[in-house]
Amino acid sequence: MSTGDHATHRDEVGAYLLGALSDAERAAFEGHLVDCAECRTEVERLRPAADLLPRSVEQVEPPPTLKRSLMEVVEREARERDGAPATQRRTPLGERLRRALGGSLRPALAGAAVVLAVAIGFGIGQLGGGDEGRTVVAQTTLPDASGSLKVHDDDTGTLEVRGMPSLSGDRVYQAWVQRDGMIEPEPTFEVGADGSGVVAVPEDLSDAQAVMVTREPRGGARAPSEKPILTVTL
Amino acid sequence: MVTADIRNLADEEVMQLVGDGDPRAFELFYDRHGGAAFSLAYRMVGDRVMAEDISQEAFLSIWRSRMRYDPARGSVRTWVLGIVHNRTIDALRRGAVHERRREQFDGIEERHEARERTDVEAARREEARSVRSALETLPAEQRRTIELAYFGGFSHSQIAELLDEPIGTIKGRMRLGLDKLRDQLADFAAGEFA
Repeated sequence: MSTGDHATHRDEVGAYLLGALSDAERAAFEGHLVDCAECRTEVERLRPAADLLPRSVEQVEPPPTLKRSLMEVVEREARERDGAPATQRRTPLGERLRRALGGSLRPALAGAAVVLAVAIGFGIGQLGGGDEGRTVVAQTTLPDASGSLKVHDDDTGTLEVRGMPSLSGDRVYQAWVQRDGMIEPEPTFEVGADGSGVVAVPEDLSDAQAVMVTREPRGGARAPSEKPILTVTL
Repeated sequence: MVTADIRNLADEEVMQLVGDGDPRAFELFYDRHGGAAFSLAYRMVGDRVMAEDISQEAFLSIWRSRMRYDPARGSVRTWVLGIVHNRTIDALRRGAVHERRREQFDGIEERHEARERTDVEAARREEARSVRSALETLPAEQRRTIELAYFGGFSHSQIAELLDEPIGTIKGRMRLGLDKLRDQLADFAAGEFA
């Protein structure tokens, strides 16, 4: 990171929070945030002010047709899901997590416990459901590593990696989804002694640009702390 | 219809049920935040039909993607409004709406105002007044720059062109304005409204 880059990006903190950067500028800014603790701190310092802006809006009555049309779609899709043949039906993720964790899932536990459970508890066989899907090969900066992402028929994904180094006790791998220029945190995962591992990406990937992997502290991070070491471009 | 047993759940618990694919939880989620979402989209595009389309897209994306709400990112309301804001900016930059908004920006009239039917709605009106009062304390050029960016969906370079100012000046106003707003709203943000 050069000083010039930092000065440029530091001046863009306000524009970033207000949504006033172009897609390319926003992607560059978020790339800079990965390496720059000072800019990350400034973004988090000013974010509460930007978050309150939509609350200044005078409330207007939405048309009744909005709720009606939304609920028609939602109920139809719920019915279709419930009525799908057993081979295609997928148990909701929350229920699977509850079963895996052996009890109710409180919000306070939802962070680290959930992501770890998803990473460890569910493999390709459990999530894939025998669908056709498609497989996309990953690019990686690690010399002996490789990986691929299977995108299932329902647009969720399963990332499989091989040849990844084992990490020390307080570090884990974490998946990320890039969408609309934003980077969203996904589950953490670990690899076995042979360097292979599997992680579910329980997101709709139909409009995602990439799925990435970084090394993060155990429990996961809200924003990547390094440049991706493995990337699947969608 | 939303039943009494879920109506008392906290937003975070409702979102877990939405993540499980529960249509009743989704209806409750919409009942709580649909008005604020539509209001934001309408404030930005000034067109009820387009605001309805954007709100519908945003809520359906949440329904279909599942499990994407992360409490670490702030309240459910902040999260939903962030999604609506991003989608509205995308719509503004895709379409010709900007040209019309460019002409209308100073004269947006709020019509079809929501009725104050509940204490929650009354509190939201009070909250809106507080944030608007804080905005009013900013120097006029900072406030206008922030409003053009956040509500107008204009990029910093478009704003520089509109106001005939250097881009560096516009970026500086955005950052300074947010900084000042943060000070004004410090107490407000600490006890974030539900």
